[in-house]
Amino acid sequence: MGSTSGEATAEDMNDVQDAKLIAEGTLLDPFVHKHPRRFYAAMRRLDPVHYDKSIDMYLISRWEDIQAIQRDPLTFSVNKGYHEQQAKGFAEEFQQILREKGGGYFPDAIMSDPPYHTRVRKLMENAFTAHRVKELEPRIEAVVGGLIDEIADRGSMNAVTDFAQPLTIRIICEQLGLDWSIKDKIARWSTAVTAQIGRMQDRAEMLEHAAQICELQHHIIAAMREWQAQPREDMISDIVHAKEGDGEGSVLTFEEAVSLVRALLIAGNETTATALSNLVFILATQPEVLAKLQQSADDDKLMNRFVEELLRIEPPVRGLSRMTTRDVELGGKLLPQGAHLLLMYASANDEPEVFPEPRKFDMDRTNIMKHVSFGGGVHKCVGIALARMEIKVAARQLVRRLGNFRLAIDENAIAFLPTVATRTMESLPVTFERIG
Amino acid sequence: MGGVVATLIQPDGTAVRIADAQKGESLMEAARRAGVAGILAECGGACSCATCHVFIDKLWFSKVGDPDQVEEEMLDMVDYIRRPTSRLSCQIRLHEGLSGLVAEVAPEL
Ligand code: HEM
Ligand code: FES
Repeated sequence: MGSTSGEATAEDMNDVQDAKLIAEGTLLDPFVHKHPRRFYAAMRRLDPVHYDKSIDMYLISRWEDIQAIQRDPLTFSVNKGYHEQQAKGFAEEFQQILREKGGGYFPDAIMSDPPYHTRVRKLMENAFTAHRVKELEPRIEAVVGGLIDEIADRGSMNAVTDFAQPLTIRIICEQLGLDWSIKDKIARWSTAVTAQIGRMQDRAEMLEHAAQICELQHHIIAAMREWQAQPREDMISDIVHAKEGDGEGSVLTFEEAVSLVRALLIAGNETTATALSNLVFILATQPEVLAKLQQSADDDKLMNRFVEELLRIEPPVRGLSRMTTRDVELGGKLLPQGAHLLLMYASANDEPEVFPEPRKFDMDRTNIMKHVSFGGGVHKCVGIALARMEIKVAARQLVRRLGNFRLAIDENAIAFLPTVATRTMESLPVTFERIG
Repeated sequence: MGGVVATLIQPDGTAVRIADAQKGESLMEAARRAGVAGILAECGGACSCATCHVFIDKLWFSKVGDPDQVEEEMLDMVDYIRRPTSRLSCQIRLHEGLSGLVAEVAPEL
């Protein structure tokens, strides 16, 4: 995290050390997994499109190359990249289990390429516009307020399990119109789905995760049957009843809709929860930032900038994948057709040529919107407005009602979930005082 | 249907005249269909990305109108390239009264 003391800056590294790090380090290496910035910086300098043999993927570390990939969704396929990554090593067995016990294997409709992707995306977009989300603000305020009421007098919490996760899950349940009783299951389901693209599960774990996903699918299918019969005012209804134009393809098939609800439940959960944990981490470790927020909690524009800089400096998503559909040159390297790539968002956000003094939390950056934490191009995160709103409301209420946040754990002892998909703290004990 | 004409000046200075813009669609949608350079529209019109930013010609601005609060907050995030007549083209619904509209595509972020 942040300016962890174990991480050297680009300036004090030398080529020999860097070359060694690149030759020996891999994303799965526990040290690199915990302190990836040094590894990223070495790659950017010496081998920006770096082949990582332990996961058989090319790691894309520069802003410009990530941008080039995002702008050419046909050459760099999400469909192939994602479905290749899914349950890597056990894919057939995984799909078989879902078909037999999970109501079906539903490929992710949104994890696809144009023109198919264009149609599906259009059908889900209306549920997520900034204006739509603005209407949700009072509800989000209420949920955040209620949760802070519960913890305010305790003086300490695990920010991951007492704040970030329950907050995200409450909001996503409410938005999707799902029954609150499934809250405990969502965290498990979410872990299970994310693990499928995380590349760090063994077979026993895959079997356990597959069982979780079966349960998740049965739940979604049952809920959707109800919504089909009776429309409601929530996002699942929007998706089940979405329509663009006429004729074939103007609505989603049942299989597509199941896969989208599943994707929303997951994509919006772990990512936003991670951002909220990072929010608390920043409040506890950067007193100047906290002070500025305390003075300006009512200033929407400043709060918006805070949220964007939080996402830039600590992107929740570690890396998402693509697969080349033809031979193509990228960052000076010739990639063969079928090359599997991982887009290292945190590396791009840390590039000093794009973001001067990248480790400085600077809400006044002019080019703040250039960060790639939400991806870019046609696959840019569809949940941006909702994610931003959740983080903003949470930040505003936290700084109004609580103060004097401090880590109750040595920064170097913070552990991260074993996945290459997100960079998520397992636990974040903090202390604080109630001020409002 | 049809009947709205709009001209967009691309970042390289060349103009694209969109003759078949549809009433009811957004300026962004018309521009994207016409392949106007610089209109990336990454969020698909959700007022969440500011990659559909245009500078409305001064003579047209009063007809197009001011951004609402949600759009204003998004424009503030790209303050460094913003001008007094900045708008996000996904938030401009085309109608007959806007036929003839001229706007310049903002530079990329
Ligand atoms: C801070 C929170 C979030 C972060 C950092 C984040 C990050 C991302 C990133 C990096 C992508 C790009 C994927 C790619 O290029 O392959 C993405 C896509 C996506 N996100 Fe998010 N996301 C967040 C919150 C949400 C929320 C709240 C939702 C929905 C409720 C959501 C739904 C999606 C979906 C469905 C896609 C796929 C879009 C497509 O391929 O067209 N995300 N997100
Ligand atoms: S298309 Fe994203 S703001 Fe207009």
